[in-house]
Amino acid sequence: MTAPQEVLRRGAGAEPPRPMDTAAKAGENVRVIFRGRQAIRRPGRTVYPGMQRFRFPVGRLPDEALLAGLATGDPELAATFVRRFQHTVFGVALAVLGDPQLAEDVAQQTFERAWRHAQMYDSRRGSVTTWLTAIAHNLAIDVVRARRPQPVAPEDLDTLLDVVTDTPEQLALADEASSALRAAVARLPREQGRALVMAGIYGMTAQQIATMEQIPLGTAKTRIRTAMGKLRSTLTSPKRGDHG
Amino acid sequence: MDNDVICEQLREIGAELALGVLPGRQRAEAVRHLDRCADCREYVEQLTLVGDGLLGLLPGSEPPAGFETRVARRLQHAAAQDDRGRLRGRGSLPRRGFRSRVRLRVAAAAATLALAFGFGGWAVGTVLSNEAAAPSRPVEAGAGMLHAQLAGVGHERGPVGEIYVHPGPPAWVYMSVDLADAGIAYGGKASCVLVRKDGTSVRIGAFTLHGGYGYWGAPSSVDPSQLSGVRLIAADGTVLATARFGAR
Repeated sequence: MTAPQEVLRRGAGAEPPRPMDTAAKAGENVRVIFRGRQAIRRPGRTVYPGMQRFRFPVGRLPDEALLAGLATGDPELAATFVRRFQHTVFGVALAVLGDPQLAEDVAQQTFERAWRHAQMYDSRRGSVTTWLTAIAHNLAIDVVRARRPQPVAPEDLDTLLDVVTDTPEQLALADEASSALRAAVARLPREQGRALVMAGIYGMTAQQIATMEQIPLGTAKTRIRTAMGKLRSTLTSPKRGDHG
Repeated sequence: MDNDVICEQLREIGAELALGVLPGRQRAEAVRHLDRCADCREYVEQLTLVGDGLLGLLPGSEPPAGFETRVARRLQHAAAQDDRGRLRGRGSLPRRGFRSRVRLRVAAAAATLALAFGFGGWAVGTVLSNEAAAPSRPVEAGAGMLHAQLAGVGHERGPVGEIYVHPGPPAWVYMSVDLADAGIAYGGKASCVLVRKDGTSVRIGAFTLHGGYGYWGAPSSVDPSQLSGVRLIAADGTVLATARFGAR
């Protein structure tokens, strides 16, 4: 825990250099952005004495506050936001696309979308991580649909299914809900798990799944529905049951 | 068509709908049904959470070196393009660029529909408008954290910033302000005054606005649970903006 005095003391320049930083000459309204070794002076813009004085530890800001900061266009908050979520965003894109270059482009687009549409985020509907993950996933699916007649090779499908059901590192880090969901996916019959991953991660329609698995369309739909129903049961209490 | 039959049909396709893989016509019919059936809405919302949770099982991966810098450049480039577009559209020179995104507003009803039945969770980029949102919409963000939008005093053009109060410990306050959106190009010192529920207030600090814009953060000794709102006050005592936190 950081005491208020410690927060204040950080104004003495104890922080390590950052890619983007501000000029701190007294009374000089100049911002300096470092690009490689080149320091670019940008006069008349954003020097914030309040923030300078308090040296607010932006790395400790909650996700929602960082997102709000991103929306304002503050470079330091934007950099912190990217650092915090790049691992997750790039991971989603790479899992869907399997191509690091395409994945990076999608990850960059994801952060641009987040910047443009930060005002749409509503914390009551889910975490910032979930929001960003959904953006990255939707963009990656768009790329897949535009570029490939078959979204995923059969061997890649099985590999990904193994990854989402049995990754010791992930299990160690996961929260209770994620662990329960992972276990539920692992318990699915293999053909249902494959249908789930094809639809839920690769964005394949039931018809595409039927073609790839060489099964009737109705069977593909049943596999998706059954798998999702089982997972839903793990995430909802019995009281929130079905109707009709 | 009988409502029960539709509910049964929706059970058949709800999973595909929630995962965003239902073909267009069926999706449109399903959404029409959801618009009038709360039970089915809840059903699909739960399935959507499952879909989001499935994505959450994907392993993270570090992007190539320099990714952060490339994202920063991309944002700067996008901001510059936006500025040029506005310049062409208005024939004037707005000087905000990167930070002007704060003016994007959600068409709330459409967004609600898109988000609730969002075909892969959150549907982004479909429902933006330039209409001003209601001022000082109280929103509770995160566990115990207060969040509210600042409204410019005497201006009805929508939010002019945001304030977050984190419970800590230590408690802290973060505020971003863009008064230019309300036509206030104030430059100079601005004080942040927290207002308690009993009507008393406490000034917790000041920062400088440039052209109406600035952000600031500071630790606070005020108990967040006792707060009702905030005032942003200019050096001459003029109240620039206010916000109210939602009742808890």
